[in-house]
Amino acid sequence: MDRDLDVKIAVYAHFAEEARRPAPGEIARRVGCGVPEVLASYARLRAQRVLLLEEDGESIRMAPPFSGVPTQHVSVVGGRRYFANCAWDSFGIPAALGKEGTVESRCEQSREPLRLAIGRDGPPPSDWLFHCAVPAAHWWDDLVLT
Amino acid sequence: MLFFRSEERVREWCEALGVPLRPLVRIDQLWALAVAWYATRLQPTSRRPQPDEMRRIFASLGLEGDFWDPQSDRFGSA
Repeated sequence: MDRDLDVKIAVYAHFAEEARRPAPGEIARRVGCGVPEVLASYARLRAQRVLLLEEDGESIRMAPPFSGVPTQHVSVVGGRRYFANCAWDSFGIPAALGKEGTVESRCEQSREPLRLAIGRDGPPPSDWLFHCAVPAAHWWDDLVLT
Repeated sequence: MLFFRSEERVREWCEALGVPLRPLVRIDQLWALAVAWYATRLQPTSRRPQPDEMRRIFASLGLEGDFWDPQSDRFGSA
């Protein structure tokens, strides 16, 4: 198993277990390597569009569907509150964890709160809608904007 | 990528921001997308869907056209 794969697995395991982004040192301990090696893997994983990093090159902004920073989209699973990058990713977190949960968000126009139970087979019927302003070909041009 | 209470709210938001109205996605479609993208994301062999896979996933949900094409040049070069 190569180092980049070890780091990716460790990052996702950390998000799943801790519901927050890891510090590079935490990933280094999980993987059994040094921080410089972790940061080198981060850069390669960014190039492969696995991670999105902050400008410091060491703080994880996104490990989709997980967000490294607070957002308006929250997935509550197993008593933990996970921040998601967007509406799509708020569904992605219970899907990735394979567990029931609750999605908390809002209507972007009216600010009406959304609270949607997610069962193992997904949410119940709902007339809420999802809208993406950015075409698929440009999602990674500016993933934060997307 | 945002939630809206209704199509009317989407239209209001687009008009206020000068953003084009894009195809609307139902909640059941969004769940299907989330499962297709992320259900295996915590597994070691997981990876992002590639362009052909993306097209197949979108098409299976009735999401077709240039907007959903990850390699479309209609909206400028990627």
